[in-house]
Formats: sequence, structure tokens, C-alpha cells
Amino acid sequence: MPRDASDLLHGTLDVLVLKTLSWGAMHGYAIAEWIERRGDGELVIVDAALYKALHRLEESGSVTSEWGLSDNNRRAKYYSLTTRGRARLRSESETWKRYAIAVGRIIESS
Amino acid sequence: MPPSGVRRAFRLPVSSGQIARDLEDEVAFHVAMRVQALERTGLSHEDAIAEAQRKFGDVQDLRDYCVAIEVPHMQRALFRERMHSAWQDLRFALRQCRRSPSFAFIASLTLALGVGATTAIFSVVDGVILKPLPFNHPEQLVQLWGIDANGRHLHFADPTFDHLLAENHTLSAAAEYNTSDMSFSANGTASRVTAAGVSKEFFRVLDVRPELGRAFAPEDQEKGAPLVVVISHALWIRLFGGSPSVIGTTVKSGQTPITIIGVLPAGVEFPSGADAWYPREPFGENTSYTAHNWNVIARVRDGLTTQAATRDVSMVLRRLHAAVGEATWTFDGTAIPLRDQIIGSVKVLLLLILGASGVLLLIACANVANLLIARMAVRESEIAVRVAIGAGRARIAQQLLIETSLLAAVGCLGGIAIAWAGMRTLLVLRPALIPRVGELSLDWRVLAFAVALSAATAVALALVAAWRGTAGDLRAALSQSQRTQGGGGASYRVRGSLVVVQLAMTVVLLIGAGLLARSFVGLMRIDPGFRTHGMVVAATIFDEPRDSDYVGRRAVYYQQLAERALAIPGVTGVGMSDAPPFSNGSSNGTFLMLDNAGIKPVPSELEALFNDKSRTGYATYRTATGGYFKAMGIPLLAGRVFEATDRAGAPEVAVINAALAHKQWPNGDAIGKVIEFGNIDGDLTPITIVGIVGDTREEDLAADPLPAVYVDFDQRPGNSDQMYVIMAAAREGSTIAAARAAFPQVRADVPIRFLTVEDIIGRSVDSQRFMLLLVGVFGAVALLLATLGVYSVISYLVAQRGREISIRVALGASAPQIVGLVLRQGAVLSIVGAVIGGVAALAATRVLKKLLYQVSTTDPVAFVSVVVVLCGVALVASYLPARRAARFEPMDVLRGG
Repeated sequence: MPRDASDLLHGTLDVLVLKTLSWGAMHGYAIAEWIERRGDGELVIVDAALYKALHRLEESGSVTSEWGLSDNNRRAKYYSLTTRGRARLRSESETWKRYAIAVGRIIESS
Repeated sequence: MPPSGVRRAFRLPVSSGQIARDLEDEVAFHVAMRVQALERTGLSHEDAIAEAQRKFGDVQDLRDYCVAIEVPHMQRALFRERMHSAWQDLRFALRQCRRSPSFAFIASLTLALGVGATTAIFSVVDGVILKPLPFNHPEQLVQLWGIDANGRHLHFADPTFDHLLAENHTLSAAAEYNTSDMSFSANGTASRVTAAGVSKEFFRVLDVRPELGRAFAPEDQEKGAPLVVVISHALWIRLFGGSPSVIGTTVKSGQTPITIIGVLPAGVEFPSGADAWYPREPFGENTSYTAHNWNVIARVRDGLTTQAATRDVSMVLRRLHAAVGEATWTFDGTAIPLRDQIIGSVKVLLLLILGASGVLLLIACANVANLLIARMAVRESEIAVRVAIGAGRARIAQQLLIETSLLAAVGCLGGIAIAWAGMRTLLVLRPALIPRVGELSLDWRVLAFAVALSAATAVALALVAAWRGTAGDLRAALSQSQRTQGGGGASYRVRGSLVVVQLAMTVVLLIGAGLLARSFVGLMRIDPGFRTHGMVVAATIFDEPRDSDYVGRRAVYYQQLAERALAIPGVTGVGMSDAPPFSNGSSNGTFLMLDNAGIKPVPSELEALFNDKSRTGYATYRTATGGYFKAMGIPLLAGRVFEATDRAGAPEVAVINAALAHKQWPNGDAIGKVIEFGNIDGDLTPITIVGIVGDTREEDLAADPLPAVYVDFDQRPGNSDQMYVIMAAAREGSTIAAARAAFPQVRADVPIRFLTVEDIIGRSVDSQRFMLLLVGVFGAVALLLATLGVYSVISYLVAQRGREISIRVALGASAPQIVGLVLRQGAVLSIVGAVIGGVAALAATRVLKKLLYQVSTTDPVAFVSVVVVLCGVALVASYLPARRAARFEPMDVLRGG
């Protein structure tokens, strides 16, 4: 059963977006697709929340955006990681891993 | 992949609308992509759209969210961007200044001169005209005047004033006052103080209260009451070091004790120059309707206008005249706002000078504009490049505005320094012409004026530069600059007209200065009829109780003083008079011609005698000693002057001047004639004319000598406590020093002030000298600036026409021909400028009419000489670049282009 993105913690979506962009500049739709594919359909994100995250990240300087042309020649907004975004991805994925391990331990011990 | 390398900063969203539109595009793209994907899975188009929108979620919420976080972000970014570009421009401007420091220096110095001159004059206009008088509700204060049968202003007589006080309905308070010099002995030293006798309500009219002590109480204002005085803050500091114990101190005026009861706050100086105020009532009233001894100041009631007061005063005084008839000479009256009374005719003069300084500022601006245009021409290619890579006009204008603001800011600072120096000079000169000069200060209003003026200058200059800088055709500018590094012909025309305007304005200022100078020289050349150099005057006040022995004590004192004066080495003559030199005697009036000296007329006969017009004459009256004429250098034309035998009791004698002899006894038989001049002092003793002396011009060099009668100090000593000791001595300074040491040895309690006749005469031409100085300085600066203007525009012309000139040289033109070619341009500019300026001056100099003596406002000498000087200077300024042009090596210019 796919879970709604509202279940995901705020910071989780941000980390997912940063991680996705670490592969290169992408437009919003490509990011959504990429997360869904990598998450094997387990993670379904409401698109509006994704865009909120993108704009939030842009405002804080973790990502930057430019208008460009998509593969099918349509005008699309491309996002890419900044140096600051890369640093944030490194530190937050560490936090996230430790968090996941901690949560896993608690669940298995019960 | 997006195209890389284009920076985010270039497409910054500029509004929240833009943010929302961008987001809509982004969402539309997303939804379209999703629809495509869903269609591939077999959904119908409609279902795919519905599913995509459902999956997207709340678009409205997203939009609000994004606008909320991005608008402040965008504003911060925009602000940063603007500051950054301004900072860049500032650095660029500083670099430009460093690259051409002489331009920056000359331009800001020029602006400083213009701003400084205008600011200094504005500070005077502000202090004198704009600032309210330092009293509460100054608009309610009026000066009252009586008006005589001929419409002239009259002072008030006591009964007239009392009547007005009782009958008016518009004044809340009114007071009489007059000023005189009085001696003031405190702490063992005697000083001369300007004191005002004032009536009861004086301080209530001004609405001032002492800062220390009290004002006059009713018991101080009764006839015969002991004298009390309120002193000014300045006098308190000067004589008493600001000590509070001054209240209750008794000082002496001559032998009369006066008690100090109060000190007025600083800045209260009314009447002008007054340092002490005493009640007038203890001295009693004069019941004559024609003893016009008093100035009157009044306060108009709340809510009433000065016009209403004028109508009221006029009506009251006309009724009075109807009631008492011939006894009063006051037919009518008026109330003049105190401010108008004080500022009077100076207002026009000051505005005139402000106008002149404004013209100077305009000339300065024209010069800087000219320099800027020259630089713009050189920078045309730079600007063309900047426009080509995408800088808009606004961006270029911002760049130029920052450059001119930088110049103006430096100019403003320099201007404030110049204004400050100018004002210090004014305070030192203290021209009598300018009332309230002591109140001048460089306050925030003046500083704000300077800053506003500089800002306006910066904007105007930036506009001129931007107009010239971005007006041209890009390609033309780029290709042309390849060859000549100069602007086009249009630029020369603009600069040429600026120079013509400059020259014209300079001509106006110089002609004004020329007229004033010629008038001043004329005035100074007038022979006043007495010696003006090497003349020292000691002004004394013999202030003692007027008992029966007063005249005797006074005679002894001045006899001893004369002996001391004669003993000073270098003093060649000593004389005395009851009025200072260069004044119209102590009084004037009508005298009577008698048949012989044997019979003293009795008062009852006088009226009949005075009605016989063939027996009366009019003259000024002066008491003098025999030595006066020699000391003053007034020549004896016939008869004799006073001698030692003309002592009290001997037959009374008089000396008259040539003007009176000529007017009254045209047959040349004045000597031996007998007159009676009791009109002055009530002494009806007949006086025999024994001598005729040369005419003297008094008070005003430009006025004709008045008929004068001199009487002998020993015979008709008069009652005046003021005497002037005149010493003829080549070295004025050492004589004053010696007299200052010697005179107090006779009596230390008589205050003495030393002057020179040159000072006294100098003061009479104060306003002319002051105007001449200002307009002269302005004219000289304007000429300098205009010369720079001509020089730079001709240099520019030579640079611009370098190729043409080179070709001419190559074709065989000689150096003089080239010089002539360039000079012709300078000549055209200066002649056009001179003609326009001359015509403008014809209109402008009319305002100087009142200040000119025996010089017409269209004086050809001034006009022609200014035009000649201007054209000469302009030709010299053009000659330098012309010579440079003549030395052109044709191949250098042609190749190097």
C-alpha cells in the first residue's frame, strides 16, 4: 500500500529532493518521477508538496533554478544543487540514516 | 539540460505577479507531462487530466506559499543588486576622477565657488529678511510715525503720543523710546554705552522679561525718581563678566548714580545697538506739540492687522490736528510693520546681490557642464560600448548622476567652507548697510540650502551629460571615435552657446562692478573741503550735573585737554566742536538778520521780525573753537576766525561758510553783518560775522555743501555734553596711543572714543563700498570661469578639427593663417556674448541707480571697457589653443587618428 507524502516528515522530502538533484539538474516532474521510481512506488508524493519543497530549498539557497527547454522542447524550470545544497545533503543523509537505524532497532526489539 | 552559464541575477523576477506567473508555467508543464504519461498507460485524455490535477494537489495553496517566501527574497535581492550597481558606479566614478584629477579638481572647485557665494549671500538674506525678529509674535510689532503737511514722517511729541495712547482702539501697548550715548563708569573704568530712554510699556510691547533681576516698577517711572537701568546680556558679560551680583550695583553716568536692576536675555537688541534701557519718566515730559523727540513702537492687538492699526493711528492723529490746529505739525499718522521698518530698502539690495550670486552659480554650472560635455565627447565610445552590451539609458544616467553627485558633494563641502569664510568676513566688516548683521549664523537652514543647491546642480549636470552622452547615434559614435576621439559638430554648438551665455552673464556682472567702481572712485575724489588724512577725533562725553557751574567746569576740562593734545609730538593743530567732523553740525534752523549788534531783540518782537522773509536765513549751526578751522584744514577766505579775545562777555562773533555768504549776501559784504540765532539755544544775543571760511561737504560726499554758521565755544558754550576734539597729526596710530595715555590724566571718568576722519568718511560710503566689493568679487570670479570656458571650448574645437587643420597645413597654410582661423572662432563667441551681455546689462544695471554717484546706468566708459576687457581676455584664452593648432605636424595628426 503506497503511503501518502503527508506521512513523510518535512525534512525527509527535502532530503529526497536534494538526493535526486545530486544526479544533475532536473525539472519538477522529472524529480517526482525519479523519486517514485527509486522508491518502488512506496513513496507517492503530492506534487504541490514537492514544489513547496523546491521553492523552500531555493529560498534557503540549497538549490538554484533556471528556465530551459525540456526534451520535448517545452519551456521548463530546471533545478540544480548549489554547493550549500550538496553540503546539506551530506549532513542530512547522515542524520536520516542514524534516525532510520534507531527507529528500526526500536521496532524490532518490541 | 538547461543552457548553462547565464546567471540567475539577469532574470530576477521583478514582481509578485511575475512569481505567480512563473509558478503557473511550472505547474502547467508538470501537469502536461503527467497527462502524457497517464495517456501512455491507456487513460482517456479527460481522465488523464483529472487524475493529474488530483495528484498535483492544491495549486492555490502552493501559489500562496511560494509568493509568501519569495517576495521578501526578491526584494532583498533587488536591493542588493541596486546597492551593488550604485557601489560599482561610485567606484567607477572615483576611478574616473583619479584618472583625470585636474578635471575633478576644477569642476568641484568651480561648483564650490558658485555654491559658496550663493550660500553666503543666502545666509544674509535668511538672517535679515527671512528669519522672524527675535520677539514673540513679531508680526504684531509696528513702528508708528506722525506725518507732516508735506507727507514726511515725523517723530512723536509727548502730548501727541499721550493722545494716541488714550484714543486708539487697535494697539495693545505702545511706548516711546530714543537713544543716546551715555557714559557708564563701573569698576573704575568709563565706557561709552548706547542707552535707550523708554516709556512705561516698552518691555510689554516687545514682550521681553529680564533673564536676571527685574524690569521697571511703577516707582521707577515717576518724575524725579532715582535712576535705574536694565542692561543687555552683551554689556553684562563685557563689563561685569556675567556676574549675578550685578543686580543692585550702582554705576555712575558722569556724577549721576544709576542702579542696575535687570539684565535682558541675549539677542534682544532693540533699538539697534542699545546696551542699556532706562525709564524716561524721571526726566519729565515736554508739553510742546512740536518737540518731535520720540520714536514710537507698538504692538497691535491680537487678531488685528497692521492695516487696521494704520487706519486707527491715522484717524486719531487727524482728529488731534483738527482739535489743536496749528499747535501741532502732525497732520496724520501711520503704522509700519517693524520688520519692514528695519529691513527697509536693504531688501531689494540683498535680493539683487543674491541674484548676482545666482548668476555666478549659473556660470559655474555652465562651466562644469561644458567640461562634462567635453569629457562625454571623449567617453562617447565608452558609453556606446556600454549601451551596446545592454546598459539602458536609465543605467547610464544613474552612472552619470553618481559622477556628478560626487563632484557636487565635494563642491558642496567646499561651498560651505567658502560660505563660512564669507560670513566671517561679513561679520568682521559689519556693513552698516545690513541690519541684524550680528544675528547671522551658518545654521541648518543655510546648510540645507547649500545641500539642496548642490543636489539640484548634480541633477541638472547629470541630465545635461546624459542627454549629450546617450543622444548620439551609436554607430556614428563608435566609428567617429575611432578617428578623432571627439564629439560631433552638435556638441561644439552646445558648448559654444554655453560659453556665449557665460560670457553674457559675466558682462552683466562686470558692467555692474564697473559702474559701481567708477561711482566709488568719483565719490572718493570729491574734496570734502577739509583734510581727511592724518586726522584723529576724540569723542568725549562730559556727563555731569547741569548746575550753574557746569559750563565753567566743562570749559576748564576742555582747555586742559587741548593743552595735553598739543603736547603730543606730531600734533600740528587742535580744535573742538560740539558735533563730529563730517556731520551737519549739532543742529540747524532759521536765523534772523539784524541791523546792528547794539540792541538785543526781545522775544515779543521776534514773531514780526521772523515774518519778514527778507530778514531770515537758514543754516546749520556748529559750536567750534578758533583752532577748529586750522586743525580741520578749512581755509579762511575772508576776515578772521575766533581769537583769544572773543571770550565770554566780549561782543559775540560768528564765522560763516562761503555757501551761506554767497546765498545771503551775494554782494560780498557779509563780514560785519549781525545775526540772531536764538532758535537753536534760546540765546538771543546778536552775533557779528567776522570771517568767511571754505565750504565743507558733510554727512554725504555726494550732497552739496549746506550753508553753515560757526559760533565760538567760549561765547556760546551751549549745553551739550558731547564734544569732539580734533587733532591734526600725520601719524594717526601713535597719536591715538599717546592721547589714550594722556587724556585720562586730566580726568579718568570721562569716556573717550578715538576715531579717524577717514573712518567716519569711510562709513558714509559703506553701502557703495560693500556693493562694489561683492559685485567686484563676483565679476572677477565670473571672468575667470568664463575665460576657462572659452579656453576649454576652443581647445576642444582645435582637437576636433585637428584633421581639417592638418590638411590645411599640408596644403600650405601658414602658422598665422591657422592662428587666425582659430582666433576667429574665439572672437565670434566673445562678440556674441558681449553683445547679448551688454543688452542685458542695459536692463539690469537700472537697479543700481540709487547707488551710483554722477555715473549714468548706461555709462559708456564702463560698457566699452568691460567689452574690451572681455574680448581681450577671450582672445588670449583662444590664442593658447590656436598656437597649439599652428604647431600641428600634419602627418602626426593624420596617422595618429
